[in-house]
Amino acid sequence: MTARIKRWPGVELGAADLYEGKVTQTRFRPDAKYAWSAGEAMSRFLEELQRGRFIARTCTGCDRILFPPRMFCEACFRPTDEWRYIQDTGTIETFSISYLDRDAKRITDPILVGVVSLDGASPKMGLMHYFAEMTKEEIRIGMRVKAVWRPPEERRGSVLDVRYFRPLREGEG
Amino acid sequence: MTFLERTTDPRRLRHWEGTLEADYIYTSGLAGERFFTALRDDGRILASRCDACDLAYLPPRLFCERCFAELAAYDDVPATGRVEAVTVAHADRSGRPLPEPEAWALVSFRGIHGGLLHRLLVPAGKARAGLAVRPRIRPRAMRTGTIADIEGFEPA
Repeated sequence: MTARIKRWPGVELGAADLYEGKVTQTRFRPDAKYAWSAGEAMSRFLEELQRGRFIARTCTGCDRILFPPRMFCEACFRPTDEWRYIQDTGTIETFSISYLDRDAKRITDPILVGVVSLDGASPKMGLMHYFAEMTKEEIRIGMRVKAVWRPPEERRGSVLDVRYFRPLREGEG
Repeated sequence: MTFLERTTDPRRLRHWEGTLEADYIYTSGLAGERFFTALRDDGRILASRCDACDLAYLPPRLFCERCFAELAAYDDVPATGRVEAVTVAHADRSGRPLPEPEAWALVSFRGIHGGLLHRLLVPAGKARAGLAVRPRIRPRAMRTGTIADIEGFEPA
């Protein structure tokens, strides 16, 4: 239907017309600010990362230890109960050998990323992270790993306060 | 933390602050263009007129909202208008307190549908509906084709 209309009413304007002031106009820059909070549970989680620890929340309803922590149990539909530190060792649940970096740029030396479930939390609860000090031939599901923390002065309260997870050594954990 | 507790102050927790870029340029449109160029170039306030409906619109509209006809006729509004309603502002556009309260008015003109919202150039205590007013237009050199080309309305 619109194909039949050869000429639309009105005035066509390009960016140059606007910037050269060809037509009258109102310009405005709203003073739009935001403060985005990580919430109760994730804020404590990030603060504890800066101290070099992983923290979880317990739920007495289902007897789980929730990690990453949350203030609300999605299984019991009730607030969670207590803070609980867990270990920085765990098990690789799944992994990818990635030939793309964080910016989706192609790389020849692959990075290892995946999900690690942490000791002390309920089964399958953990976080996604990098794996290193192992080759792409050595990495496997079920592999025991340990967090490598940045030195305290380099930590920012970020998940990158852990550099990566490395294989658990003989006699550890 | 219970069901009813909410995080109302994000700064109490770990948070990120930033600004949103939401700049805009709003063009006046065809009828608005006539209005603002007449105001800027000649210091005139124009209303568009529909002869069929015997109606005039301020700010001017391109179409009659009664009969949908495209409007091409423009008239000057009368020299004197009337304050329909007043608001006394104690804060500026950003919400900062003003040193002195400011009076704002909706000014209408006899026989014209609509009106203009603008500053009322009287002390806030003297602002009242019914006041006869006339526009105070800025000098030509200061006019840029915006509503601020009118400084405000002063008692006629």
